[in-house]
Amino acid sequence: MIQHLLHINHVSKHFGGNVAVSDISFSVDEKQIFGLIGPNGAGKTTLFNCISGFYPVTSGDIIFDNRAINNLRPDEICHMGMARTWQRVKPLGSLTVLENVIIGAFSITNSTKEAEEIAIEQLLAVGLSDYAQKTAGSLPIGLKKKLELARVLATHPKMLLLDEICGGLNHTETETILGIIREVRNKGATIVFIEHDMKAVTAVCDWIVVLNSGEKLAEGTPQEITGNPEVIAAYLGGGHNA
Amino acid sequence: MKQIIIIAVIAGFAALLPLAIGDSPYFIGVLISVLMMAALSSAWNILGGYAGQYSFGHAAYFGAGAYTTMILISKFNFNPLVGMVAGIIVACIIALITGSIVFRLRGHYFGLASIAVAEIVRLSALNFDFTGGAQGILLSDVSLWGMDLNSKIPFYYGMLLVLVFTLGIALNLRKSKTGYYLQAIREDQDAAASLGINLSFYKNKALLISAGLTSVLGSLYAVYIRFIDTSAVLDLRLSIEIILTAIIGGVGTVWGPVLGAVLLVPLAEMLRSNVIGDVLVTQGIVSENSGLGVFLKGNLAHAHVLVYGIITVLCILYMPKGILGLFRRKK
Ligand SMILES: Nc1ncnc2c1ncn2[C@@H]1O[C@H](COP(=O)(O)OP(=O)(O)O)[C@@H](O)[C@H]1O
Ligand SMILES: [Mg+2]
Repeated sequence: MIQHLLHINHVSKHFGGNVAVSDISFSVDEKQIFGLIGPNGAGKTTLFNCISGFYPVTSGDIIFDNRAINNLRPDEICHMGMARTWQRVKPLGSLTVLENVIIGAFSITNSTKEAEEIAIEQLLAVGLSDYAQKTAGSLPIGLKKKLELARVLATHPKMLLLDEICGGLNHTETETILGIIREVRNKGATIVFIEHDMKAVTAVCDWIVVLNSGEKLAEGTPQEITGNPEVIAAYLGGGHNA
Repeated sequence: MKQIIIIAVIAGFAALLPLAIGDSPYFIGVLISVLMMAALSSAWNILGGYAGQYSFGHAAYFGAGAYTTMILISKFNFNPLVGMVAGIIVACIIALITGSIVFRLRGHYFGLASIAVAEIVRLSALNFDFTGGAQGILLSDVSLWGMDLNSKIPFYYGMLLVLVFTLGIALNLRKSKTGYYLQAIREDQDAAASLGINLSFYKNKALLISAGLTSVLGSLYAVYIRFIDTSAVLDLRLSIEIILTAIIGGVGTVWGPVLGAVLLVPLAEMLRSNVIGDVLVTQGIVSENSGLGVFLKGNLAHAHVLVYGIITVLCILYMPKGILGLFRRKK
């Protein structure tokens, strides 16, 4: 039997009359790089917020590591080994870059010294070592995205939820981040990856789910998805920058 | 490490100060007020400065310490130290009730609720019998380990000890997991939660530490003054003074509250004893019988909270990181 690390089972999320996520089901396997794509407003971030414990689901179940997590708090879900980044980055602005990552590392140790060692290691991994003592709020957006990544990596997660981690980055920066993501997967982590940039997604993902207006439009391998006329229509029809 | 040495040096200096200025009860009294406000503001800062949860009702914890201690001494003849420990327990119970209800909510609810709780505590103390109601509680005699408690000196050293202890905790916390977590909560609650931080647990922890320390100061103050009523130890004005001291000195830093107290308490004392008005008159800058002179004499003594307020507004406009912020390089 294949081990599903994450199972989304008929999940819906309504905001009043607005159905942001409608009856979505899919499964993510261990060590997969799993892409979640779709035009703006498709419900991707909302689904992440449900999975990571920030929004209660309206209906459905979310199973992570063989346990229903619908009713857990975000911090409990983080301690189960699932970490997320934010599309609209959330640096701890007046703290230094190093301190930001130390705080991530404290989820797996109580010792400041150990947390600092883990943090230094992760800053090196994403190429932020030179900025360790800068205040996080002062970084340009590209580096803030890297900081998001370093911070969740410091929690040593089993699964990473990355929300447009390459959004607003140039080609080289995107390549660097994709490289890091592959490396993290090779070390055994599972990655769910929201991305707008189709090229980035097809380059790195094993499996892709496409959302549109809160509904699942299609799922398959990158080849299947890029050849799917409905997906192309949704993207072109939406007039978005994918 | 460097900071610990600074604390030790300053504390050593402060310990010698009474020997240097001799036996002037007035000056010792002012110094006791400085030490107490520095400690109160540092204790508040652990919650307000580190965790960003502004309490506008810290007088409740100060009063809890003061009243518990005074009741236990005056009615049951308890040892003052037992009163102090009991005060910590009462303050922590009030803190837990407040925190466990309010910290579930986001936004500024805690600030509002802290005022409400402090008012409930104040009105209770004003209306119950065992708290002495409007008369308050007067202590005719108190003793501990055969010390001369009619002298102010033991209280000077008592306050100094509590201040050093509070600064030690503030400093230690800063480089610990809890201290980092509190700062993360201050910066961004969603980010903090997503990194595994249990928001209400750590906010409550900060509140308990802060409330416990504040209550110790209330106990010490009560035994020092030997008379308490609600306007002395449970007033909103006290809560405000604690916050303004921290803001003016530098919120969220270890030394800001100390600096704030060193500058503001003597200033308040000068206003209260009308030194400034007297100087203006004796220097002939303002004539005693002119309208302004009469006004200064009549009102300046009551104006120290107003002056605090004006300084705070100026601070927020021109140095949002407090006076200490002026000396910090930007990274
Ligand atoms: N907190 C919220 N309250 C109300 N509506 C929301 C909220 N969050 C998202 N939505 C709505 O849900 C829909 C999906 O948004 P989102 O999940 O951000 O899309 P995506 O990340 O795919 O661009 C949008 O219509 C958006 O307006
Ligand atoms: Mg989004």
